[in-house]
Formats: sequence, structure tokens, C-alpha cells
Amino acid sequence: MQLLQQLQINDPFFEQKKIALISLYDVIDPELFVNIMDLGLVYGISFSKDQKILVTMTLSTPHCPLGEAIQAGVQNRILQDFPDYQVETQIVWDPVWSLDDVSEEGRKLLGMPPKM
Amino acid sequence: MAGINIGKAPANKAVLPFYGAAAVFFILLAVTLLFHSDLLLGGYFNFRLLSIVHLTVVGWLTMLIFGAGYQLLPVICERDLYSELLAFLSFWLLLTGIVLLGGGFWYTPVLAGRFPLWGLLGGLLIFIASGCFVLNVGWTSRICKSYNIQKTFILTAACWLSATTLAGFLLAWNLRYPYIIHKNHLELLKLHVHMGLAGWFLQLIIGVSAKLIPMFLLGKSNKTYLLRNAYILINAGMLLFLIDGYFFSVTARALLYLLIVIAGIGHWLLYLRDVYKNRIKRPIDVTLQFSGLSFVNLMAALVFLTLLLTGSPLGNGHIAYGILAILGWISALGLGMTFKTLPFIVWNGHYKHLNGKGKIPLPKELYRQWLVNVQWWLFVIALYALLAGVLWGSPWVTKIALIFLTGTSLSYGLNVLIVLKHKTNFIHATSTTAPNK
Repeated sequence: MQLLQQLQINDPFFEQKKIALISLYDVIDPELFVNIMDLGLVYGISFSKDQKILVTMTLSTPHCPLGEAIQAGVQNRILQDFPDYQVETQIVWDPVWSLDDVSEEGRKLLGMPPKM
Repeated sequence: MAGINIGKAPANKAVLPFYGAAAVFFILLAVTLLFHSDLLLGGYFNFRLLSIVHLTVVGWLTMLIFGAGYQLLPVICERDLYSELLAFLSFWLLLTGIVLLGGGFWYTPVLAGRFPLWGLLGGLLIFIASGCFVLNVGWTSRICKSYNIQKTFILTAACWLSATTLAGFLLAWNLRYPYIIHKNHLELLKLHVHMGLAGWFLQLIIGVSAKLIPMFLLGKSNKTYLLRNAYILINAGMLLFLIDGYFFSVTARALLYLLIVIAGIGHWLLYLRDVYKNRIKRPIDVTLQFSGLSFVNLMAALVFLTLLLTGSPLGNGHIAYGILAILGWISALGLGMTFKTLPFIVWNGHYKHLNGKGKIPLPKELYRQWLVNVQWWLFVIALYALLAGVLWGSPWVTKIALIFLTGTSLSYGLNVLIVLKHKTNFIHATSTTAPNK
């Protein structure tokens, strides 16, 4: 829930970002069977006035064979709620994803012990 | 680092034929063995046994590894596969080659012990197929920006494969024209076999496992020096064994070279143990159980080899060693890893662009989990009963074991068929309401 909690109420796109980020809980990493939000793969989202959405994210493994599918999942899922927008994803490797990015719910789903 | 190209998995047509053909060869070799179980109770230099061994190591295992390798190489090198066409070409060359070579060995006794020319052609085609694989691995890793030891293992393994297939071709040539190579054929056969086992299979498995097992277990290890040590020790041991064996003979000194290789394997296993200790995905599913079993069998095969080299009396020990290495170690790994790779490849083809649009199955739902469990028990029974049958020289135990092996191959083949014949199953989502529309 970190990204959702970090949303500022005075953000002009607060409501849209909230809906988009919640929708990304539906996008599952097909190998780990856990959604990409709880895995901490999504680093940020931005909306622009010219109806563009940019999702900045990473993958658990560079050149993951399912990387394209996960990116398509992000774009398709957001387009369901924002059909008039143009959705793009940007894959970054900095910061490198680590297990510390996994939420408490994600840790539970992966069978990991809770964070101390 | 933003906006890095994450690359694309190769087209399914460059990968899936390997999986389908490998499954067919696995069934073929199990059924053939079932009807010729006496081959396992005689000496190891028998043309029909050589036919079955080549169907296993080339038709079943190398075929499977080529398919998985073309899919995984981009993951390891973080770049697209150099040539899908070359991959496709290598499939047809390998398929035609093994049919001709396997058939050549099988019919040699009928041809009064003279190895047929078309069998020789099969050996040549397999060598060319391995050359295609080396080129694809070499060119894909050449454009790989980062150095990693996994890539080095795979490239080295590919080179060893070419060396093995070339040596195999020359041996087959020597069968037809025995005056060409003035060496003991059985001595050369030992070198050829171990180039394949330790050069090709072992190093390929180390390279792939060092990348995939951390991925599957969500584990990690910073001790990559263990892999570097493994690389140096295994290749040093192999080269010493081959040079000594070729110019002199396979003597008790081979034990020393074996110990060097075992030290290398030990370093690799220490690396995997570190990954396993630091894993977070706790439950181990049956596909990974196969990997665990394969490591146990690898250890057992090394113990057997040590006993054979020290001259310990083992009834039919050479064949038992071969069963442990080829079936217990490499095949066990293949049986499990198929369902860690194939469903994802097929899933990508069907659902990559549908992901997020509605309800779609997960990759693990593309195959029957219960059938993999059945396959596990059939295989475990088949393997250890076969070893018992061969070591005790019992035709009945061997025959029963081969019935279980046929069952394993059929359950495996059926599951592979289910994945390959999968039809897209998609329920479109109804869109929700969003603000600002």
C-alpha cells in the first residue's frame, strides 16, 4: 500500500492515480502468483494533461521472459478504467528491486515471515 | 538505467518443436527398452544399446535442452536471441540426425556389423546442429553487455557439445572405416561419453541452474566465486582426463581428474545451497522435487564412477552408472524443468497481450499438476527398480521397472501434449467507472 499511502490529496490527479494504482492490484506476476503492487514492482505513476499515463516500474528479474506480459497487463488493466488515455510503461533497474520492496500482504502470499 | 530494452522471448515456433520432439523420443526410448530389456543386462558396447543411449542423450535430452536453452538464453544474456532461423534449422538437423544415427546403430547388427553410411550422415547432421547452437549462443552472448559466469558456462557447454558431436562423428566413421583412427575404440568411447556428460550436460546444467534456481526460489547468493571455482575445476579436470586418456590411456589417474571435477561440482552445490538457504518462496513444488532428486542421483553416479575407477566389483556397474547419470540425474532434471518452462512459453504465446484485459488462466493451470505427481512416483519407482534389476541381473525386476518408466514417459508426454494443444481461454472483463471521463 506504500504508493497509495504516498499519494497527496492536493495532487491534481489524486483520484485518477488512486483508481489506477488500485487497478494494478489485478495484475499478477504469472510466475509468483502475486500482484505487482504487493510485489513492489510499481515505482510510480504520473498523469499528464494531454491524457497520457506513465507507469514507472521494474521486474523481479532483468529480461524476465514474462516481462512483456506484465507490461501488457499494466497497460490493458489501466485502459479498462481510462479508455481515452494513452498508457505507457517505463522499465527501470534503478533502484534494483529487492525483497524489501514486497508489502506485508505480499510477504504473506509468498510465504515469507513478516518484516521485523 | 531508465527505459532499458527488456527484449523479447523468441517466437514459439523456434522453441516448441523441441519440447514436442523430446517428449516423443522419451516415449520411444522407454517403449523400445521395455521390449528389449535384455540390452540392459548385457555388456555396454552393444549397437542396439548405443542406439537407445543416443536416442536418450540426443533425441530426448539435448532436444529438450536446445528448446529450453533458446528460451532462456535471452534471460541470461539480457538480450534477444541472435537468430530464430538458426534455432529452427538446428531443430530439423538434430531431428533428422538422431533418426538416422539411432537407426544406423539399430540396424548395424542386421548389416553384418557394418555401420551404414546414412547413419554416418546422421552423425554429421547432429554435429552441424550443434554448430548452429554454438553460433546462436556465441552471437547472443557476444552482444551481451554484462559478464556473468552463467553465460560463460553455457557458452563453454555449447563448445563441449560441438567437440562431443565431432568426436562422435569420428567414432562412427571409425566404425565404418576402422583403419582411419589407430586407437582403441572403447577407450575413445569413454572420452566421448565424458565430454558429453561433464562438458556438455554438466556445464549447461550448472549455467542454467545458477540463473533459474534463484529465480524460482526467489533466493540469492553473493558467492559467485563458488561458480568461478566450479568452472575452473571442472574444465581443468576434463582437459586433463581427455589429454591423458587420448595420448596414453584411461588409467587409475582418471580418478585424480574425477576428484578435480567432483571438487568443481561441490563448489556449484555449495552455491545452490547458499541460494536455497536464502530463499523466500518456502513451498517446494513437485517440479523442484525432481531437481532435488537429480542432485541426489548425480552424487550417486559420482560414487559409482569412483567405485568403477578403483576397480570395485559391481555387477553391470557401467550400465548402472549410465542409468544413474542419464536417467537419474539429467532426465530427472528435464522431467521437472519442462513444467517450469514450457507452460510459461505457451502462456506467453496465448495470453501475453490479453493480460490485464480479463480473466485468464495462470501458466501453472496449463498443465495437470496431478499428472506431474503421478509422473514423480512412476519415475522414482522406475529408476530405483531399474538400478536394482540391473545390479542384481534380474530380468523380471528390470522388466517391471521399464513398465513404470513407460508409464512415466506416457504421463509426461500426455502433459506436454495438453500444454502444447492449449486453446486460448479468455473472459473479457467489464470495465469499471473512472472519474474524469
